[in-house]
Amino acid sequence: MTSRTTIAVSLLAAIAAATLLFWFFQHQLSSMWLDVLLRPEVREAIDRSAADQRKLYEADPAREAEYRARYEELRRLRARIDVLELSRREMTFRYELLLASVFAVMLLAGGIVAAVRARRNERRMAERLRYLEHLAMWQEAARRHAHEIKTPLTAARLEIERLVSQSVGGADEAELQKTQESISEELDRIARFTKEFSSFAAVGVPSVREEDLGVVVREFCTTFAGGWPNLRLRAEGESASRVKVDRDLLRRVFANLCSNAAHAVNGEGEVVFRVGRGVVEVRDDGGGINPGIQARLFEPYVTTRRIGEGMGLGLAISRKILLDHGGELELVDTSPDGTTFRITLPT
Amino acid sequence: MRRCLLAALFFAAALAGAQEQPPVIAVLPGGTVAIALPVSILQRSDVRKQLSGGLTTTFLITARDGDTKGAARIEVRYDLWDEVYHVRRIEFDARQERQRFTAEQLERWWRATPIRLLATTRDLLRLQVELSVLPFSAAEEEDARQWLSKSGGVGSASRGARSPGLVDVLIGTTIQAKPLLTFKWTVDVKLR
Repeated sequence: MTSRTTIAVSLLAAIAAATLLFWFFQHQLSSMWLDVLLRPEVREAIDRSAADQRKLYEADPAREAEYRARYEELRRLRARIDVLELSRREMTFRYELLLASVFAVMLLAGGIVAAVRARRNERRMAERLRYLEHLAMWQEAARRHAHEIKTPLTAARLEIERLVSQSVGGADEAELQKTQESISEELDRIARFTKEFSSFAAVGVPSVREEDLGVVVREFCTTFAGGWPNLRLRAEGESASRVKVDRDLLRRVFANLCSNAAHAVNGEGEVVFRVGRGVVEVRDDGGGINPGIQARLFEPYVTTRRIGEGMGLGLAISRKILLDHGGELELVDTSPDGTTFRITLPT
Repeated sequence: MRRCLLAALFFAAALAGAQEQPPVIAVLPGGTVAIALPVSILQRSDVRKQLSGGLTTTFLITARDGDTKGAARIEVRYDLWDEVYHVRRIEFDARQERQRFTAEQLERWWRATPIRLLATTRDLLRLQVELSVLPFSAAEEEDARQWLSKSGGVGSASRGARSPGLVDVLIGTTIQAKPLLTFKWTVDVKLR
């Protein structure tokens, strides 16, 4: 049951309960005004008055018309009361039903208005929260970008100043060569950052072919066996699972997951690729993912790594690749004993 | 519980109705069918009690055999002033007659006067006759409606000018005469 259905059911139940309660109390009160009118004493008084008119006429026949008119008036009043008495049950029931219906409609209208207002406020709050989250994300991105560029630039500037002073001071060739290499290294860091940053924007449209998923996984494990010195890669499970996939892009996803695993394991670790029908579960034995970022794990720039150790784009890129395939990348499980991601691909 | 009791009373009343003597059917010239109701109805204690009240007891008679149908009405009100019964008879062709009777005269009239129910060209009828005893007349019903409507503060001097309000509708649909008793008979009538 969705939350909206739950709210609607709760609202209707509350209205029904309130209406029943209202009906109960109203039932106790509604017949009061009829009770007053229909009291036997009222009828007896009318009957006595009518009989008195007849006696008055007998005592004074000359005024017959006057007494007769009064008698007729009283008779009509008595007839009206008798008609009401006979219709009382139906009248009371309809009256109570009408009031209860009006009450229920008012409650329902009030409930709908309140629900609409609450929903509007909820949306406004959610929008505001999302805006603040985006703002925080961009702040984090700006901080990382600035740091990624500023650190090697500062280092390169210092190395250039050293190179200049070495040149003026007559340093030897080997020393100049070392400084020059250091400058190149810092510039390479900027180049690597630019490459990683631009790769997010440049995730290509997958060029899919039917592949054996088991074969693709085993080839990756063989080819990248030495890709992460602290990781062992192992494939297991069904081999003949045909999927429509861009092999290069899938390798990139595997590589991103392995790269994360390499950071997560304490010392040496293992990544196991369990292949199923159109599914690969990738499990590492690292320390798990921080609960604070699990809900936003696949958003760009979400990472627990220190600045300079990664941009937090790997999982965002990986999920984009799989969504482009018509598949999915999900976090299945994470604990201090390890983390499992599930890759689903169209068969 | 109350509903069960009401249902039992209704059943008992229906049973009582079934035990009443059948009406006497008379065929008048011109294919007119008339009915004389059994006087035992008038002598029933519940009917006598109703007749002695101030309201107009209405005896509504309907008869039908397929498309052939007709209805008539007898309205009886006891007047304390004159100590007589005011009787109004309305037959199928809207012919009306007003009379005043003592209790004995009323019984005699009831027994001897056929009420014209319908006219037909058919030779043979199997009539389903139904008699409903209503506690008050249509005029009293309307009078009570208007009075209650005014008492409720919704009626006014310019009543005719305004459209009916919710309370008027409520009153209009709740004050309706419901039969106190119902009798049913099936009668074969040979017209020719």
